[in-house]
Amino acid sequence: MSSTEQGTSSAAPAEPTTAPESAAAPEVPESFYYVHGKDKVVHKVSAGALQHSALIHGMISNLGYTEEQAKANPFPFENIDGDILQMVVDWCNQHKGKPTPPEDTNLPKQKEKLFDLVLAVNYLEIKELLTYCCKQVAMMVKGKSPEEIREIWMIPTDAEDEAAEKEAKKRAGKEAAGETAAAAGDAK
Amino acid sequence: MPIRLLSLPGKDLQYALDCMDIRDLVAFSLCSERTKNLVKSSNRKIEPIAAYVYEDYIYFDLKTENDYDSTNDYISLYVFDSYFEFSGSLEIEEWRKEEFTQNDWIAHFLNIFNDPMIGYLGILNTSLSYLDTIKQLFPKCSRLAISDMFSRAFAKIAFWKLYSIAEKVEIYKNICDDKNDTSKLLTLSLKSLYLVDFVNPLKLNLDDLLILNITDVTIHFANISVKELNRFLKLWMQGNRTFYRPEVISLCLENGTQLNYEEVLKGIKYENVKNYYRDFTLFRLKRRDGKELNVFIADNEFTFRVV
Repeated sequence: MSSTEQGTSSAAPAEPTTAPESAAAPEVPESFYYVHGKDKVVHKVSAGALQHSALIHGMISNLGYTEEQAKANPFPFENIDGDILQMVVDWCNQHKGKPTPPEDTNLPKQKEKLFDLVLAVNYLEIKELLTYCCKQVAMMVKGKSPEEIREIWMIPTDAEDEAAEKEAKKRAGKEAAGETAAAAGDAK
Repeated sequence: MPIRLLSLPGKDLQYALDCMDIRDLVAFSLCSERTKNLVKSSNRKIEPIAAYVYEDYIYFDLKTENDYDSTNDYISLYVFDSYFEFSGSLEIEEWRKEEFTQNDWIAHFLNIFNDPMIGYLGILNTSLSYLDTIKQLFPKCSRLAISDMFSRAFAKIAFWKLYSIAEKVEIYKNICDDKNDTSKLLTLSLKSLYLVDFVNPLKLNLDDLLILNITDVTIHFANISVKELNRFLKLWMQGNRTFYRPEVISLCLENGTQLNYEEVLKGIKYENVKNYYRDFTLFRLKRRDGKELNVFIADNEFTFRVV
């Protein structure tokens, strides 16, 4: 499990608990890294758990941090809400070193968080979790009518889409006109 | 709590659509023009669409392609003009699109599943006056089937009105009243004809087999003499007809007829080919130009198959 420290982006988290040593072959101590989201709460996560995230795994490999350096430089994910990052970290810990099952019952059930979770997981490139999340998104509309789906997934009507498109075109036209005027001003 | 699905990154959205069953995809496609296009671009593979025409509604079967794992991912719809009905989990559900006609529903289903045409069109219970409407609704289909629910006269009119919309036709009434009708039917340029009428066998002779222009023909029951079958095979062996379109001719003769292979193959050189999958013997005929033919003869069945 991750250890969490409220409101301290650079505070040193608790020391990792050392795994009991086997009598036959001493295990290589696991390395830990630190991540924080928008709320600056630092999560301590093992390298094994972070392997799920292609993004973080790539960063770790490239940086080659020592334990001390990792502690001092938590990976900042300012675009991810703290509670969402917590969910992601929990999932990574639960599935550390295990093959991911075809159905994941540990997935957060809060639908209101699902959308943010999909975006975060997509950003962090956690393929298996993304698969589960998208499945969950699809299940939200299972057996629903088109009207209900439109409501659940906030799908604009054709008229709303047309209006938005017109508005976007208008805005783009104005911006282009503004740029032309600015360029003409510069030329003078 | 709703989520803004259309703001998801394209790949995630695609994956979410991949997780949906056919029923939910159809529902989603009806939300807006944009969702319709998303379903289309999700490229869901389904079995060729089957449609069964009744006078006041059309019954559609939409089924996931190769549903071998028995997930039973399918939806059966009763399409009227501005709405369709289907069996939901608890009750009959009805989805509407006020501006839609049956024509629009057909176009919608074909469009979202990227199908160029209806795979199987069954004509089940309609009036004569409705046949023109059917032709308008389904200008093309892969296989047309005219049921045995109609009278022979009706089936004949329906066939001649509709056969041109399909490459393959099934008809469950013998629609030939005379030699002229038979010639007209057999010279059609169809890929396949399946004519089944156990009450009124189709009378055939050597000339009918020689003028045949359909690639794959099955006729149950047919009425033709052993002598004429023998003559037909002899002519084929002589290679008089260098271009002969039929590749399969399968005839089931009237009940009680027993075909003797020695009589059918009298005077023709052949070899026995053991079929290891079924307990019967095939006869292989080889022409001088190298063309080969498998002939199956048993009880009242005769099958001619170009190898």
